This record gives sequence, structure tokens and C-alpha cells, in this order.
Amino acid sequence: MARKDFLDIASLSREEVDLLLDQATPFKELFTRSVKKVPTLKGKSVLMLFYEPSTRTLSSFEVAAKRLSADVIELDVPHSSVTKGETVKDTVDTLQAMRADYIVVRHKMSGLPQAIARQTRASVINAGDGSHAHPTQALLDAFTLKEVFPELSGRKVLIAGDILHSRVARSTSSLLLKLGVEVGFLGPGSLVPRSGPEGITRFTDFDEALRWGPDAVYLLRVQMERQEAQYFPSVHEYHQVYGVTQDRFARIQGEGTYIMHPGPVNRGVELCHEVMDYERSLINQQVENGIAARMAVLYWLKPQTDSEEAERE
Amino acid sequence: MSMLIKGGEIASEQGAPVRGDVLIEKGVITEVGESLKAPEGTEEVDATGKVVAPAMFDAHVHFREPGQEYKEDIVHGTEAAINGGVTGVVMMPNTSPAIDSAAVVRTVLEKAREVSRIPVYTSGCITKGRGGEELAGIDGMRNLGVVMLTDDGDPVANPAVLRNAMEYATPFGMFFASHCEVAELSGPRALNEGKVSYQLGIKGTPACSEEICMDRDIRLAHATGARVHIQHVSSAIGMETIRWWKERGARVTAEVSPHHLIFNEEDIGEYDTHYKMNPPLRTSEDNAALLEGLKEGVFDLIATDHAPHSEFEKAQDFVSAPNGITGLETALVSLHDRFIATGLVGWDLVVKRYSAEPRRMMGLEPVPIEEGKTADLIIFDPSGETTFSRDFMKSRSVNTPFLDQTLRGRVEMVLRGDQVLLQREGS
Repeated sequence: MARKDFLDIASLSREEVDLLLDQATPFKELFTRSVKKVPTLKGKSVLMLFYEPSTRTLSSFEVAAKRLSADVIELDVPHSSVTKGETVKDTVDTLQAMRADYIVVRHKMSGLPQAIARQTRASVINAGDGSHAHPTQALLDAFTLKEVFPELSGRKVLIAGDILHSRVARSTSSLLLKLGVEVGFLGPGSLVPRSGPEGITRFTDFDEALRWGPDAVYLLRVQMERQEAQYFPSVHEYHQVYGVTQDRFARIQGEGTYIMHPGPVNRGVELCHEVMDYERSLINQQVENGIAARMAVLYWLKPQTDSEEAERE
Repeated sequence: MSMLIKGGEIASEQGAPVRGDVLIEKGVITEVGESLKAPEGTEEVDATGKVVAPAMFDAHVHFREPGQEYKEDIVHGTEAAINGGVTGVVMMPNTSPAIDSAAVVRTVLEKAREVSRIPVYTSGCITKGRGGEELAGIDGMRNLGVVMLTDDGDPVANPAVLRNAMEYATPFGMFFASHCEVAELSGPRALNEGKVSYQLGIKGTPACSEEICMDRDIRLAHATGARVHIQHVSSAIGMETIRWWKERGARVTAEVSPHHLIFNEEDIGEYDTHYKMNPPLRTSEDNAALLEGLKEGVFDLIATDHAPHSEFEKAQDFVSAPNGITGLETALVSLHDRFIATGLVGWDLVVKRYSAEPRRMMGLEPVPIEEGKTADLIIFDPSGETTFSRDFMKSRSVNTPFLDQTLRGRVEMVLRGDQVLLQREGS
């Protein structure tokens, strides 16, 4: 059964996850053809509502929508100032005027896409809300892992970095758990929550985490403001203790462990330069798969904007 | 006004309600007993199957006046109180301007005398503008009858300031009420730190933020000889902290709110701001511990922290939406629905903790249903029900998780002195 909105991973069933992952495959195959477009969403409009700056996710959604032949409208919204205190209703009123069929939202406030979704007939896709969820990232991550491990169940994935503030960690771990993957969280004690994540092994020592035997190490981007808030003493120390240093990279290479990262990478922080050329780095594959995964989501959702039209008539 | 209330179950602080008649003449209870005869011209009320209880008293309400009358004001707040069976309230001073001087206290009390049908008491700020730095005009407020000092909404962050205030105001017979938290630990003050804060991706407020401050304030009171009242305790360890200090003879009282007894973080669901308040809802284990604390007397009183906010404010995203829910109209019925009707507690506990003790804390006489006392009572129908619709509610705001829900129990009549303050239609 198709849904109106794509807001988080938690509410998806295993069947829906499998359906979306299966659907991404033919879209990815399309990319190797000379004509990369299909007419599926011709006449539909996709509104990009990015209250937080993001070139990568925004472009990825744009390309995905355009390859489905949808019209893409990018709404110029303030990135930070107005967001606090603006009521959801005000935002939705603005959106109704645009008459979009799909709304892709990114917002620094956790839960805002949910609130918008409740008040519009358009399909709302969460492109990242606060520290809450980034479900299309999770989908592309799982899709990428499935390409190297067709049977994901029983595999181990270590997610490393600022778990506390990461929507990627939340959504990707949640999806991987649904697929039977064992998930570990690694990071500074101040950035890996002790209560909350269920069924996930918590590490604060990188070497211990590597002994756990992960099939892939997923590095999260370190936000520089975390250091300012004293979650860790310095970027240098972070790299030494929680980054993929040259020593750790040698171990990772030796084990044949895959490396993932949601981008953009802070070289010399999460990982040393050498990792970028590692043949088992999946980072570029993640970017490409992002388009296919987002096409699968757009294709799957069913906006209720048609019924709105019917009501008017 | 004279009235004979016949055949009701008369509730008191002591033991189960006892069946009997209550004769009220010219606002005074003149006789309590069996098979009383109504003198000529006395209205008779059949209270068979109903509970006749002392009226409630809420020692923690936000009436938002002056300054935020769009959320609530004294007239709507006191009418909401009556609607919930409450005939006395203590206002918190976090208004705009704050109630931190004789001038503002006088304004508020004069307004209350003008518009309110029940007594309104106000607390006063500890520090000017609740700024946490300079002491408020304490003597002026004392002269107008203020006995409770609090910067509610925030703690006094600097312990030296609080200590000075305690040393200074205790000889005046005043006491302190503490909103406990360490701001630096609380984050955006949106919800409990734990399972749900992780799932929703919002930085949580750990229970230790509240517990550390609570312990600090009781220690300061203990060291200075002050009396301190801990407001809206939300956690099991907080409850145990108070128990520990009480056992050591500290002059500490504490309150628990109906919402911290009834709800927990799981109720937030998908960012429902009707479950957002400060201190936040914690876990089901905390619910159970708080109820035990109430039954064992660790909590001296129940208070609602009635905190009205308008709908557009609560409609914001979870972090931006303000903290607080209304409580005056729902408290008694919800306590009945969840705890009395289910047999977990008796009417004696609710009368003691939501009627008698809060009055005693404020230096007032309780209002038991006894001969010679001024009538100040309610008639409650345990087999009736209340639907908390917008129409039902008298508050200016409807930010309660009980909105449009139907609960067991109904406040049918509220009587104070020679006035019938509430006579519910159809009863």
C-alpha cells in the first residue's frame, strides 16, 4: 500500500523497506542509458523547501525529480532566522499557495516535516529534520550496502561519530536493524547516548569496536560547533581517538572492511586522506545511489492533491 | 443561603467518606449528621451516591496577568478553578512585569478582588524581574500578605543569592518555593532525556538537572533555617531526595502534579506539544514512584502548575512550543478517573493533598465539612462523566492532553459561604 508521506524509518514495515529497495534498482540501471529520464511524474510538481543549507541532498532530490520528469520548484526560504517561532500553520499556508504535489523538507527543528505533513494533501518527504530523521539517506545507505552484501542479515555495521546529534545515525541504524544487520555505535562518551538506542552495541573505544568485526564502518560528519560546546577537547584529539587514522586504516584495509560517509567529508578529522582512494570506500556510490533511492520514494508516494482537485469541482 | 445536602458520602482527610447530611445556614455548616430535617425555607439537595468533599485549593497556577492576558487572566483563571472544584489558588509571579514588588502585588490583588469569586493569593519573586541577581522588594510584598517567594519558571541560578534571600526573608515568616533545574544541563528544556528524546532527535533534560538543584535548595534551606517547598517533582530520585531530607528534619514540603502522576514521555508520540511541560514527563517507572511518594506522604500536596498557552503557540514545532499545560479544570476529575475510581487511592488522600495541606502550607485554615465551619465544599458525582470540550472549559486556553476526552467523574456543585459558585446543568 502506498503512503502519502515519507517521514521516518520507524513507521516503515519490512515489506515497505524491501519494496523501496527493490524499486531503486531499475532506477539506478536507468542512469547508464543515454536517456536517463522517464515520464512517470510528468505534470507533477516537486517543491524543495530547505530551511537548512544543503547542496548535496538538495541536488540529489532535484536530479531524482527531474529524471522522473517532474517540475521542480525551489522555494527560497531563510536558512535560520525566521525558522524559530514561525508557526507550522504559517508555513503550510504558504505552501498551499504553491499547489505542489510533493514537498521535500529539510529543517533544523526535529518534527517539523511531520507537522507539515498533517496539514497538507501534498506528499511530504523528510530530507532531514533536526537530529530526528533522514530517511532517504537511510534508504540509500541500505541500498549501497545491499550492492556489496546482497544478504544483509547478520552483517555488522559500525556507525562512528556524533551519534547524539545525528539524524543519519538514527535513521540508518533503524533501517539496518529492520534488515537484520547488527549495529554498533562508536564515538566520544559525550556524543553516544546511553539511553535510547535499543539493540545497538555502544562503543567508546575504536580499537575495541574494530575487534567487534564490522563489515562496514560508517563515519559521520563532525560538526565543528560540537567542539565549541566542549563535547570533545579538540578536532585533533577527535581524529586521534575517533578518526580513521593511518594506523586504523591499515587495519581496516587488512580486514577488507568497507567505509561509508554521508558527506561532505572533513578530511583529517573523520578520516585521513588515504581513505578517499580506498577501493572499498563506498562514499561515491552512496551519492549515486541517493538519486535512485529518492526516485524510488517519489515514485512510491501517493499525494492526495488529486482529491483536492476533485473537491473543488 | 441555606441548604440541606442529603445522603452524600462526606469526604475528609481521615478515612473513607461517611454517609450523612450537611446542613448549611447562612453560609455556615450548622449540622452534620444522619436524617437531618430541613428548617423552613431551606433548599434540599439530594446527594445520594455522590461525594461531598471540601473544596480543592491549588498552590501553583499561572494566571498570566499582567502581561499575557491572551493566554489567561484572573477572571478566566478563577472561573476555570471553580469549574474544576477549586476555591483557592496561589498565582505564580512569572508575569510581565513579574510580580516582584508591592506595586505589582497590589495591582494583581486588587484586580482579583474585583473579578474573582474565590480567594486569590499570589506568590512574589525572590529576585527582581526573576533575573536571579538582585533581591525583589520583599518587605513591601510581605506587607500585602505575600508569604511564598519563588522565581518559578526558573531556579535562582546563583546559590549565594538564594542563600541571602533565605537568610533575609525567613525572619519575616516567608517561605520559598523552588522550580528546580540546572539550566546548563537542561538543554532546550523540551522533554526528558532518554528513549523518547533519542527517538525524536531532541536534546533531552536529564532528571539529574532537577535533582541536583532540588538537593541544593533544600541544603541551603536546611543551612539557613528557611522553609522550602519543592515544586512539581517529576522523578523517582527527586522524590527520594525529598524523603531523605524529610527524614533528617529539613523544613521541606513538596508537590506533585497530576500530569507527572498520569503521563510519561511515551505519551509525546509524534511531537504532541500537549505533553510538553517543564519539568518534563519522565518514565512509567517515575509515574509509579511518584504515586508511591504521594501515598507515603513524601508529597505534601498536589498542585497543577496550570499553565495556559494559546493554540498558535502550542502549534509550533516541539522545541519552539512553550512549556506547560492547563490543569485547574481537569485535575480533580483526572485524579478521580485514574486513581480513585481505580481504587489506587481514596478520597481522604485527595482531600488531604489537594485541599487541606496546600491551605496549611499557605497559613490558611483547611475547610473540613464540620459543624461551625464556613461552607467551602463541592458535590462530586463519581458515576457522572466530564467531557473536556472547548465549550466546557472556562480557561482562555485549552492546552490540555484531556482536550475532547471524556473522563469518569463530574464536579456538580461548588459552594463557598453563602454562594453557589457552580451548579452544573442537568445535575
